[in-house]
Amino acid sequence: MAKKILIIEDEEVLTKVLKRKLVSEGYDVSTAKNGNEGLAKMKKEKPDLILLDIVMPEKGGFEVMEEMNKDEELKDIPIVIISNSGQPVEFERARKLGVDDWLVKTEFGPQEVLDKVIKQIGK
Amino acid sequence: MVIKKQENDKISVLLNDLNSLQSYINDIFIFSPLPICFISPIGVILEANPAFIKISGFSFNEIIGKSIEDFFDKREIKQAINDTIEKGFVEGKEVWFSPKEKSEMPIQIFTRVRIDEKREKIGYFLSVVDLTEIKKTQRDARRALMNILEDVKEEKNKAEEEKNKTLAIINNFADGILVLDKNDKILLVNPKAESFFEVNAKDLIGKTIPEFSKESPLLPLLEIFSKKSKEFFREEINIREELILEISLVSIIREEEKIGSLIILHDVSREKLIEKMKSEFVSLTAHQLRTPLSAMKWSMRMILDGELGKINKEQRDFLQNNYDSNEKMIHLINDLLNVTRIEEGRFLYQLVSADIGQIIEEVIKSHKELAKKRKIKFEFKKPAQKVPKFMMDVDKMKMALENLIDNAVRYNIKGGYVKVSLEKNKDKVEISIKDNGVGIPEKHHPRIFTKFFRAANVIKIDTEGSGLGLYIAKNIIEAHKGKVWFESSEGKGTIFYLVLPIRRRA
Repeated sequence: MAKKILIIEDEEVLTKVLKRKLVSEGYDVSTAKNGNEGLAKMKKEKPDLILLDIVMPEKGGFEVMEEMNKDEELKDIPIVIISNSGQPVEFERARKLGVDDWLVKTEFGPQEVLDKVIKQIGK
Repeated sequence: MVIKKQENDKISVLLNDLNSLQSYINDIFIFSPLPICFISPIGVILEANPAFIKISGFSFNEIIGKSIEDFFDKREIKQAINDTIEKGFVEGKEVWFSPKEKSEMPIQIFTRVRIDEKREKIGYFLSVVDLTEIKKTQRDARRALMNILEDVKEEKNKAEEEKNKTLAIINNFADGILVLDKNDKILLVNPKAESFFEVNAKDLIGKTIPEFSKESPLLPLLEIFSKKSKEFFREEINIREELILEISLVSIIREEEKIGSLIILHDVSREKLIEKMKSEFVSLTAHQLRTPLSAMKWSMRMILDGELGKINKEQRDFLQNNYDSNEKMIHLINDLLNVTRIEEGRFLYQLVSADIGQIIEEVIKSHKELAKKRKIKFEFKKPAQKVPKFMMDVDKMKMALENLIDNAVRYNIKGGYVKVSLEKNKDKVEISIKDNGVGIPEKHHPRIFTKFFRAANVIKIDTEGSGLGLYIAKNIIEAHKGKVWFESSEGKGTIFYLVLPIRRRA
């Protein structure tokens, strides 16, 4: 069975590119545009991995993680943050919230995202 | 007969002596420059010397036999005569004398009574001293004194006015001012300073700043004072939320001696706010810009990697150029963000123990491609003595080295070299990055490390540098308590030197 990935990211082009890449590698991909949508889809679909943006309208990445940690069904889902900045302060906060991996969008590309996904949940 | 002759002789001698004496006295009387006259008990002038005659203006005949009252103020002279008769003399009484055909003259009168062997008053001497000149001099002196006093008063008024003007300026000054005397006691606190600290001047005067307790509103001032006792310039203190002051302490020197100090408090709250807003704006903008740039980067990457189908060489080259352009934009924005963070003090450092040699190797490796394209040879001279690991922020150190090595590769000639050396020197690490590229013209040397500066000769080669790389690199190296400098001349190449202290623990 194909592994399920949920992308929570507000930038449409990025989401499209990433989805294309991951689908071509055999993953089942669904997307959400903000934290609220993301949490709703998470509960419904129970993905194997979440790719999470930090800065989003309505509800951002940190808040999503905080809420996931409070939910029994959600707290163990692995998360890879796809962020716009590389600030140490943000790393620290994410690490404390239990994030599994991190990348900065402007430094890495879709291939690197794939590598990290494989690292977390395999092919 | 013989006895008579002897007696006659004695009498002759005595008569002679008497004559001589009389002659002597007469000569003195005539000689004396002081006016003297002899007056009978009832006030008739019996004798007068030439000086008296002269001063009176009258002739001998007009004086002798006349009453003394004719020549003086009647009331005054009567009084004088009475005093003479009573006490025997008058000394220096001031009266008015009436000479002939002249106006009254002020004189001092001197009298002495003469009595015979029966102790009967036979008359009195009277002498006068002309006070006209003296009086005139007194009058002139008084007038001169009055003038001087007037002048002094005027100067005093001018000085008062100046003082008041200065005080008015100080009191209305837009900056806060505290004046201290040479023993650091507070002499003056202007209204602005009072309002900054919400204190009353009179509560502060006479005290020194260290005297104030930690609860006093002057606490921020206290803290600066305890750190810097000498002159300081534009130190920032935070009084309250939204009140930030720049304070400076200068000595007041007069004739090479310090007579006091001046503390100037300048409100920079507005400037700070604007700075903060500017920084936040840049931060936000840079953030917003990165999102579409990442989107473009990823899209182009996908196409270039053939994931949307095969592309021909022309398409590849075209896209690759766009990809590179995009990368440059990303770098520029990163640099801008770093610069803003440096300025805001948000450029935080995480220190870990790391191997600087390894970092240099990684940076060189990441430039191998670019170097190959430009036919540039890399040389890394490793240290003779092993360089130990020391505390540094790895990402930032990498950033600094990348900027330096990037410059060395980019601003180089085809077939040039970049030689990097690493040495341990006692408790310091010395790094040099040498290239034989285009060099930095002498006139640009002072501005090389400033923000956005790019030398004219490299703008032509590489139009897209941001001019921020060296500013950031210098900041990073100095934050590690190191130093960076360079030697260069146009056309001959450049050597950048770095020195970093080896710190084993944070």
